[in-house]
Amino acid sequence: MARLVYAIILGIVGAGIVHIAILLLIPVFSERDAWSRIASVTEPYTIFPLGRADLSADILKTADPLFDVAVCQFDLAQGVVRIAAAAKVPFWSLSVFDRRGRNVYSLNDRTATDGRLDIVVATPVQLIELRKDMPAGLEKSIFIEADIGEGMVVLRSFIPDPTWRPSVEAYLASATCEAV
Amino acid sequence: MLRTAFLTFLTLLIAIGGGAGSVWYALGAIGGLGALHVGGWTAYPQAGTVDADPYSKARVAREAELPLGRAEGLAFVADRDSTNQPLRRDCTYRIEGHIPAARFWTIYAADAGNRALAPVGDRAPGISAFAVVRASDNSVVVTASPRAAPMNWLAISGQGGMSLVLTLYDTPVASNENIAEIDLPQVLRTECDG
Repeated sequence: MARLVYAIILGIVGAGIVHIAILLLIPVFSERDAWSRIASVTEPYTIFPLGRADLSADILKTADPLFDVAVCQFDLAQGVVRIAAAAKVPFWSLSVFDRRGRNVYSLNDRTATDGRLDIVVATPVQLIELRKDMPAGLEKSIFIEADIGEGMVVLRSFIPDPTWRPSVEAYLASATCEAV
Repeated sequence: MLRTAFLTFLTLLIAIGGGAGSVWYALGAIGGLGALHVGGWTAYPQAGTVDADPYSKARVAREAELPLGRAEGLAFVADRDSTNQPLRRDCTYRIEGHIPAARFWTIYAADAGNRALAPVGDRAPGISAFAVVRASDNSVVVTASPRAAPMNWLAISGQGGMSLVLTLYDTPVASNENIAEIDLPQVLRTECDG
């Protein structure tokens, strides 16, 4: 009897350890996270509007229906990435996520020069190199320092009413996401 | 010998089964350790950030969420009215009060899985600060109802339960320390069908 109780107590202690281990490993090994689901339908360095994907219903589950959400995946190991758009919309905001789905940086159009989307995401080391020798065309860009490898930007654009949809879609079509 | 094997098996069963089962249960049941309750509204300011608790991180990974960042905004969800009854899609609710400082806000209705309800006809799927009629004291009254209503009508479609999502965009609330002291509108039930 004592051995049975001992076995049960040992099992409960083990359950606690397994609980913590699984909890901490889910974000690392999940194949259902936003990154994996987006990676399965799009290529890196393309602005992909989630609203058009069949699986968007899942990814966008908690998204505001008055917004259009687009993503672009990148890998800073292949160089800094620049996200820019020519047109303007009433409101946009942008988040940088790392591979594990953590929001490492966010900003909105008030932060940007003239409300235009023009940002460069770089690691701290890449940023030092950039500052030494600024490439032409990046003078007005906002630099985001993110100590990540693979990552993605999520760009949300507000659609005040359905008549704005063509403008917002034109804006997203004009947006670029490229390694520089 | 057989007894030892049985006890070992039992220990492993409790450890692995209990450990995995409790994680599965906790992710579905626990509202979140970083939850912020204001009136009947709940928000998760830490969700998706590096500071989030492990349960929130695991849920974000499993549900494939892309939470709003601090500079983007903050979403408040209410699934009960002012008398603590669950919200139903066949009832009419008045959402009234002042909305905290923000560049703008949106209100939409969502189903049990937090997915926005299908819009009714050609109506926009939600109401935003850009298209709202305000009272003279700058407060807002939104009527969430399956039937057409005057002033600000948030059209509800379908059957079953629902929740209301109020999102403040570009708001100082998201980075404020005294976040619990803000006032949010009340959700009052006015009538129900049947």
